[in-house]
Amino acid sequence: MIALVKSEFRKAFTTKLLIILTLSALAFVLLTVVLGVYLSPGPPSQEDVNTLMDSAVVTNIFASVGGASVFVLILGIIAMSGEYRNQTISSTFLATPKRELVIFAKMITYSILAFVIALIMWIATVVVATVLLSTVEHAPIEWAAVFEILGGALLGLVLYAILGVAIGALITNQVAAIVIALVWIFVVESLLTVFVDWIGKWLPGGALNSILQATNNSGFGGTDALSVQAAALVLIAYTVILAIAAVFMTNRKDIT
Amino acid sequence: MAIEVKNLTKSFGSGVTAVKDLSFSIAPGKVTGFLGPNGAGKTTTLRCLLGLVSPTSGSATIDGQVYRELENPISVVGASLEASGFHPARSARNHLRVLAAVAKIPDSRVDKVLHTVGLSESANRKVGGYSLGMRQRLALAVALLGDPKVLILDEPANGLDPEGISWLRNFLRHQAGLGITVLVSSHVLSEVQQTVDNVIIIRSGSLAYQGSLTSLSNGGLVEVVVRGPNIDPLKEVPGWSVHPGEGGSLIITGVSAAEIGHRAFAESIELHELREKSPDLEAMFLELTQTDGSSQ
Repeated sequence: MIALVKSEFRKAFTTKLLIILTLSALAFVLLTVVLGVYLSPGPPSQEDVNTLMDSAVVTNIFASVGGASVFVLILGIIAMSGEYRNQTISSTFLATPKRELVIFAKMITYSILAFVIALIMWIATVVVATVLLSTVEHAPIEWAAVFEILGGALLGLVLYAILGVAIGALITNQVAAIVIALVWIFVVESLLTVFVDWIGKWLPGGALNSILQATNNSGFGGTDALSVQAAALVLIAYTVILAIAAVFMTNRKDIT
Repeated sequence: MAIEVKNLTKSFGSGVTAVKDLSFSIAPGKVTGFLGPNGAGKTTTLRCLLGLVSPTSGSATIDGQVYRELENPISVVGASLEASGFHPARSARNHLRVLAAVAKIPDSRVDKVLHTVGLSESANRKVGGYSLGMRQRLALAVALLGDPKVLILDEPANGLDPEGISWLRNFLRHQAGLGITVLVSSHVLSEVQQTVDNVIIIRSGSLAYQGSLTSLSNGGLVEVVVRGPNIDPLKEVPGWSVHPGEGGSLIITGVSAAEIGHRAFAESIELHELREKSPDLEAMFLELTQTDGSSQ
């Protein structure tokens, strides 16, 4: 398995995909931080006129780091479906005919990469947010909450990367896989949540938000969240189910 | 190591039967040509053999084992499937290093196979900029990477220039000389004619011929072209099949040139030409692989 993970790392670092998606995620996260600092509303009741933002708003700026999750999901999807797209899947399965091992090796590889990406995003967010916050008046930064966000980002991004690999193995058409995943997160989940309010937190995107401790606001109004542990279990359950389906499908698939 | 295909059948979901009850075996240490027109089921058969496609029924084994059960398969079987199977942004060297990592093959071996196929100078260039011939060489390097005992090459001559084909020919002969079993597919007989010991010819997914090229050509009749000022008496010889040829010549089948010459000498017939025409392998190949049934 170590040999297979080494092979996956070589794959990941010999194309530009990893760096492009990491930089895109960084740009997105930092843009969210900038918007959060300068466009966040002040507290509803201006009891303390010197504090324009309350502590929840400040903490939420640091939660911008969770925005990297969708990029990590796409990274996982492309890591697997890209092999079908470029037809490298034949030589991959010739070298490792026990196909489930390829899927597992990718999951390990991309969880390690997602862990590092989460760390980079969090550090960048902390640096940029503290610098920018020093230019505005705000409630004190609650560092305990900021470190909880780091924990949530590490766990959430790792799980999303694994989920991405499973989706890419299940839907081997790369474009279809990405479109379906994005439509699911941004449209289907939001609509389901609008019609059945309690369902949101039990869906993958909602569970991730619970882990990231971000406000569950899909644009249609917020929903309540699960505890981090429960949400992690929900997301792990989705990942395991998709992974089992992916292994089953992949082993039966004719590579033509 | 021997390759054995037994009653192999593969139907795809769309109702297309690509391979029908195909059986053949391949002797170790020889170059075997796997021939048939495009769409005859060659690639499907090879993919069944390599564990990429699951047979509907029957089996395809290498040294008695199915590919997916092989331990460290690339050190047993080297395969090149299609020239397009590379990430365009990855260099040839990195593509090989990715596969080398799986089998714990050192980078020195990667450089060695790149040298063998003549890609050393382009090794660090992106494969996206490669010509079809260079991709074929890279595919061959992939096949050689694990120093395998069996080589399975799907249309390796496709896209090679004449120099490349000649190089490939020598290369395959050399591999067979080392005791390696080589199975090479092609839809053009002439590409492999001078390289192969044996041929397997398939047509519409079924076996049309298996054996040596020599016995394939012996199946056809030798034609003898005879020319001379007065050769008409040769038309009357019982047991000979004589047809008029070009420019007043005769084409005689069923006897050797020596026999005809002896007869002409005995009857004092002046001959200006007495020539054996070897049977046209390409025509026989076409006849074997025609699907309309007119040849049967």
